[in-house]
Amino acid sequence: MPSLYLLIPLGVVVVFAAIAIFLWAASSGQFDGLEDLSKRMPDDDA
Amino acid sequence: MTDWTAFDRPEVRAGFAATAGESCQVLIALDGIHCSACAARAERLLAGQAESVSVNLAARTLSFRFKPQQKPLSVLLRALDEAGLQPRVLAREDAGAREVRERRRAFARIGVATICAMQVMMLAWPSYFGVQPEPAIAQLLRWAQLVVAAPGVLWAGWPFFEGAWRAARGRALDMNGPVALALAIAFGASAWRTVAGSGDLYFDSATMFVWFLAVGRYLESRTRARAGEHLRLLAGRRALTAQRRVATGLETVAIGQLRPGDVAVVAPGDAVPADGVLLEQPLELDESLLTGESQAVLRHPGEPVLAGAINVGAAPLALQVGRCGADTVLAQITQLMNRAHICKPRLQQIADRIAGHFVAAVLLLAGLGYALALHRGASQDAALGIVLAVLVASCPCALSLAVPAALAAATSRLARSGVLVANAGALQALAAIDTVLFDKTGTLTRTEMKLQRVIPLAGLDEQSCTAIAAALEHGSRHPIATAFAGIAAAAADELRQAAGAGVSGRVDGQHYWLGAAEHAPCPVRLPETQPGETLVVLCGAERALACFVLSANLRPEVPALVEELERRRLSLELQSGDAPATVQALAQRLGIERYAARQTPQAKLQRLQQLQAGGGRVLAIGDGVNDAPLLAAADVSAAMPHGAALAQSRADLLLLGDSLAPVTLALDVSHAVQRRIRENLLWALGYNLLVLPLAMSGHLPPWLAAAGMSLSSVVVVANALRLDAVVPRRAPTPALAVVEQR
Repeated sequence: MPSLYLLIPLGVVVVFAAIAIFLWAASSGQFDGLEDLSKRMPDDDA
Repeated sequence: MTDWTAFDRPEVRAGFAATAGESCQVLIALDGIHCSACAARAERLLAGQAESVSVNLAARTLSFRFKPQQKPLSVLLRALDEAGLQPRVLAREDAGAREVRERRRAFARIGVATICAMQVMMLAWPSYFGVQPEPAIAQLLRWAQLVVAAPGVLWAGWPFFEGAWRAARGRALDMNGPVALALAIAFGASAWRTVAGSGDLYFDSATMFVWFLAVGRYLESRTRARAGEHLRLLAGRRALTAQRRVATGLETVAIGQLRPGDVAVVAPGDAVPADGVLLEQPLELDESLLTGESQAVLRHPGEPVLAGAINVGAAPLALQVGRCGADTVLAQITQLMNRAHICKPRLQQIADRIAGHFVAAVLLLAGLGYALALHRGASQDAALGIVLAVLVASCPCALSLAVPAALAAATSRLARSGVLVANAGALQALAAIDTVLFDKTGTLTRTEMKLQRVIPLAGLDEQSCTAIAAALEHGSRHPIATAFAGIAAAAADELRQAAGAGVSGRVDGQHYWLGAAEHAPCPVRLPETQPGETLVVLCGAERALACFVLSANLRPEVPALVEELERRRLSLELQSGDAPATVQALAQRLGIERYAARQTPQAKLQRLQQLQAGGGRVLAIGDGVNDAPLLAAADVSAAMPHGAALAQSRADLLLLGDSLAPVTLALDVSHAVQRRIRENLLWALGYNLLVLPLAMSGHLPPWLAAAGMSLSSVVVVANALRLDAVVPRRAPTPALAVVEQR
């Protein structure tokens, strides 16, 4: 069980990392116009 | 190729670009985008030259950031133009940009609430199953919950705290109050117990509560954004630069530099920059945003053209500028719509007040429930659970949404059909009307004459007769001439006008005469006519060639409208300042039994007051110019104001499409709104009354209360959105009736 002393804080850190990534994605407009995506074709060049 | 350099000028750029530090954000409409391949091409074109390039395929817009010092906008625009993407710079919309930011923020709050709620539950699971970890681990789990729940409650739930604080400072109570209180109690008590190291925690309920609420708010704000869509489209139609014709050719000027009297040139596909008169050649214009008419309209030289219309013809449009800037009809419509969005109708004020009292009652009941639970000997934990459930479950969010959601949906539905609701309260009053009072001239009838039918008398076919008549009447100011306007005509010479009698002239070397039948220089066998119709005869050298039946210029949609209104058992009245014979003929033709001629505005007003004194609720329909007192005094008023009259119009409903047909739609929508509002209020009240006893008696856990409350708000909004699908009801057409009989 002592491993929990490490794993629980680690889990919390991962949660905050997920929040940070999500916030970055939302504020840079990645979730804007979601209905648009289905109409676009894959961009092979990129 | 267009001269794009005008967009590099700072004073022009201020009109469309949002400047932040060194870089500018612009929104460009790309009419040339049709598929995803075009979108990808546009993005590739700008890659490396501009930042955060993004194409919205549905709206056909492109937004990007650029640094004016490094790369002039004109270079980027020319690149797009040369690629055939037809760029058009759109006016800056502060509101639009703010809405985007708010939507992103709201979405981010949902996301954070989701992550936090899930993780808190993971950390809380031992307590769900009664597992007792060793004390040190249990305490670690508590602290972990506190840390993870903090952003989920405090940041994702921040709008509720902020709203409650704002309301409290204004000495008011709104639905944010109970929500904020519930969140504060749940989070505060749990945090305290975490530090103390004992007792139940509510972190999971609090985060889930925020998640439900955030989703509800998000759906609601999407609805509101849809209602504002029309307004945003209108604002986007504002042209920013115009091509002014000068002695040396064309110069590009900022829109503010255009003056009445200038001649502006509008390239195909561009928006007209100012109100004015069309010059030179007939052209097709798309006026759908201004009038709701989806078909392009053909405008002839001399006819008015409105700012915001799109030149969909193949040639450049020349325009004599009449009104510009804030005087244009487009600017006035935008202003009126803004005003309508701001003012709150009475029913909504009442609903808000009820919601305020309701909140106060909920707060009291929550306190009462807590005291009662403790008195009954329940534990501190159970009592706190009751407080949370009462606060959350009976929060009157749905109640305060019931009216505005329905009105917003109805306003946007009508705006799409060219009906501007200047006073949202009128939508409700409209459902209760029993009498419709019509003005005649300019309302039921047009000022122009209409060519009803042609009766050839001597071998010559209809078309040639009409062409000859049009040639004779070309350039005449006589009312009869309006019937022949817009018909292609050969040139006539030796034109002579005989006052009151007719006009004579030579077309293709032949002499003709056109005029009233009784003055005809040769014998004519007259066809039968109906009251209100006028006969005009065309004579050749020795005999009559054709009879033209001109009608009393009735608007084409009026007979169907009158029939439809009568079918709805509305009593119709015609009040006119015209001569008795004309009014009688019109009233009989339409089947309107009650009519009055030679009425002064004063007399019309007296008649209206007489009707209202008898308990009647009157919808007055006028042209919005000569009948202002009538429109102001009626229970609901509708008008078709043109140009400058728009801003001064006191009518509740403005019919922008120069047609009375949308009146039926407005009636349908008003009845639908009434139903939706009633359903919404009933649902909201019923839900709250049902759920309150459950929560008070401790039968409703806080998380279920949160789900129920959010669901009831979503139901209200979804119900309001059904208004978007209202289509005008019509009596079945004869053809259809036959099919049904078979």
